[in-house]
Amino acid sequence: MDFNEKFAPITKGLLEFLVLKIIAGDKVYVPDILQQLSATEFATQEGTLYPLLSKMRREQLVDYEWKESESGPPRKYYELTAKGRAQLRETMEFWQQINETVKSLGKK
Amino acid sequence: MNRVITINLNGVAYQLEESGYEQLRAYLDHAARSLEGNPDKDEILADIEQAIADKFRALLGAYKTVVSTKEVAEVITQMGPVQGAGGAAPEATPAAAGGKPADSAQAASDAGTSRPPRRLYKINDGAMFAGVCNGLSAYLNIDVSFIRIGFVLLTIFWGTGALVYLVLAFILPEARTPEEKAAASGAAATTEEFIRRAKAGYYEGMKHFNDRDARREWKRKFRQEMRDWKHGFRRQMAGNAAQWQQHWAPAGGPPSDHWASVGLTLTILTWTRLLCLALAFYAAFSLVTHGAVFGLALPTDIPVWLGIVGIFFVYHFLTWPLKMMHRSIRHAHWGYRRLAGPLDGIVWLAFLVVMVWTADHYSPAFHTWLQDLPPSIHRGMAEVKEWMARR
Repeated sequence: MDFNEKFAPITKGLLEFLVLKIIAGDKVYVPDILQQLSATEFATQEGTLYPLLSKMRREQLVDYEWKESESGPPRKYYELTAKGRAQLRETMEFWQQINETVKSLGKK
Repeated sequence: MNRVITINLNGVAYQLEESGYEQLRAYLDHAARSLEGNPDKDEILADIEQAIADKFRALLGAYKTVVSTKEVAEVITQMGPVQGAGGAAPEATPAAAGGKPADSAQAASDAGTSRPPRRLYKINDGAMFAGVCNGLSAYLNIDVSFIRIGFVLLTIFWGTGALVYLVLAFILPEARTPEEKAAASGAAATTEEFIRRAKAGYYEGMKHFNDRDARREWKRKFRQEMRDWKHGFRRQMAGNAAQWQQHWAPAGGPPSDHWASVGLTLTILTWTRLLCLALAFYAAFSLVTHGAVFGLALPTDIPVWLGIVGIFFVYHFLTWPLKMMHRSIRHAHWGYRRLAGPLDGIVWLAFLVVMVWTADHYSPAFHTWLQDLPPSIHRGMAEVKEWMARR
């Protein structure tokens, strides 16, 4: 059974949650996010991440600011908005619930 | 050695190998299409371009200033396909699912309307007879050998192949100019398509520059690039067209400036061809009258007319190099004779009429075959119709 294929909708759906979580940790720019995700089951690419980030910005979950870099043009550094932090908190709680549901079901 | 194209990614120039440039162009075009309808389309495209630029910069150094095609392909793989609104926003599925097929239908209809208008020509470069198979091969994009085999099979089993060939040879115009040769395989229109897409990319690029100087620079570079590309393409087409003639020119003796020696070579070539023609005539004649060529008897199960076709197949095959030599010398010294094509055709037609008349007159078998021709064509047509109906 191919887990990657079977759970593609789940990883896709969870990606936004994880990106929120990464951005909550520190101001990051896209290569940082990709690098943090690269070793996990949620490894993704610019082609997916940029459209996702722009959607999240439209929903006012994240915002970015331009920062000069020592090598090359200025970079976009992303950070969470208040709305983004609230959503992250809610999602974390929901995730805990799911975890507990998964653990408790089928157990005597 | 490869041509290099300079591109502008968010205000910084990068040099790419030509085919790498085309791959990148295609990737960005595709990205733009899949982001159609996304309110942040321009910004996402700018981000993507910036990410590509960062990756290119990491590959380049003081002694490496050009991004190779392979590296471009690797960068594109790293970037991954750009997913539109539907891909990254699962909760928006109904709208996205509604939008996606429309997008692809749009793309398909785009491709449909800009499909290169191909034209069926005879192509004489590398032709065996009149270039009909060559033209069909370019038109259908099938290897010419398969077309030839098809014609031979049609001739052997239904006897219609040679007839169809002859009809096509008279009807089809000959591709003479590089443009016509390109149109035969639809290449010229592909150029149009390329230019159209490049222009679309150009306007897309213009949107990303707020600064007037940057816009002007982008405009200038784009124009120069398109000019270079167009010239390169023209040169290549002309080169292809001239290749055969160049190939044969040295075989006709070193291109000499003495008219006398050219005249002598031409005369010898002409007489050699005439001799071959006379031999072919004699062979056909003896085939009809004695049923054998130079003592070689025709197998009983092969009709006489097929033997005649075979003889002229062999004749053309043997004299084809002579013809090409002749042509290349004529081209080199007198330029192109516009009358030569139609004249050759008329001579060939007259020759055919004489052949048929002779065969009809002297061979009862050919006479009866000729009488049977209309019904057998009718049968052939019916078979084709039936075959079409079955498909």
